[in-house]
Amino acid sequence: MASVSVDSGGKGRRATNMEINMIPMIDLLMVTISFLLITAVWSQMARLNADAQVPGPPRPDEEITKVEPEKQLHIEMRGTVDKDNPEREETVFTVAWKQGQTVVNSFEVRGKPQVTKEQSLKVIRYPELANRITEEWKNVGSHRDATDRKVDQAVLHTDNETPYANIIGVIDAVYQTHRPMNLGNRTEPVSAFNVTFSVN
Amino acid sequence: MPVHHPGRRLMHSVPLRFVQKKIQGIGQRSINADLSLTSMIDFLVVTVVFLLMTFSASGETPVQKGLNLPKAENTLDMIDAPLVSVAGSQILVDGAPAGNTRAVEDSKRLQRVDELYNMLKGKRETWKQARPGKECPGVVVLQIDQDVQAVVVKSVFQTSAFAGYPNVSFMVNGIPKTEH
Repeated sequence: MASVSVDSGGKGRRATNMEINMIPMIDLLMVTISFLLITAVWSQMARLNADAQVPGPPRPDEEITKVEPEKQLHIEMRGTVDKDNPEREETVFTVAWKQGQTVVNSFEVRGKPQVTKEQSLKVIRYPELANRITEEWKNVGSHRDATDRKVDQAVLHTDNETPYANIIGVIDAVYQTHRPMNLGNRTEPVSAFNVTFSVN
Repeated sequence: MPVHHPGRRLMHSVPLRFVQKKIQGIGQRSINADLSLTSMIDFLVVTVVFLLMTFSASGETPVQKGLNLPKAENTLDMIDAPLVSVAGSQILVDGAPAGNTRAVEDSKRLQRVDELYNMLKGKRETWKQARPGKECPGVVVLQIDQDVQAVVVKSVFQTSAFAGYPNVSFMVNGIPKTEH
């Protein structure tokens, strides 16, 4: 049997060397491993946040003050198909920073989506869009300071036939832009945008 | 001539016992192997520590059968909220049927799904009755197949928002971030 030596021990005292019974100890380790293996979750479920900007009913007790609209990033997504060469199919994004009805800045991003298939699951990425949004946010974004608790709003416009996997690809590309945010006594990287849908 | 036991006679004249054992095949390796307890316990403890670190007490969020969720990199952790699933053309709220998407698919127009609206509205009322005086967070998680059309996604999204759940999250399979 194994023993644990704690001290040399004095004369006439109880021995300080304790013996550990190996059999129950190994049994305990085996049972713990079995339990943890059985209850382990191998598929990592996660979520992408989006919010619906639904205005609440007007409150009679509150005074209505005119607030200047914030800049928003509008991303319009449409696909183009070259009938002569289907391989040249690409997605065109018209991206615009708007403040109310005023267009502050507008640009176009073209690129083929990077599709990776893992079994029956698709991973769709738009690296050109993600990189361009990051660059533009660094220049035009309204909430870039770490002390600012607000984030910029991105509005996604898609046509009705777009598959859900492509929508998730675009939202994922928007969320790639990160900024530091002070949360109490620590600073953590958070997404620079909050995404919502245009339902028109 | 005396009679001898049958057996090997090779090298019999050598008076050394270990040589004779070797010749006769008696010196085989023992079938009982020694196991080092120290390294075995080290291995078990490392395995337990690894499994404990990756253990999640929140359990697995149930995914409807036949539903392929898309994958994404820049994700957040799952939260406890009502789960709206769109599997095929059926809509489920926490596993209970809440209408279907056929009308939306046929018309190809954005519209409210009434059964889903009523069910979510009921859930919100129940939540408020159980916690009087508290503000309902209005969070709902959408579990939608990767091939569903945008018009269905928008309809479910808008219906949830109108039913009092404006904070919508899309459930995905999280994948590790790639370096850009």
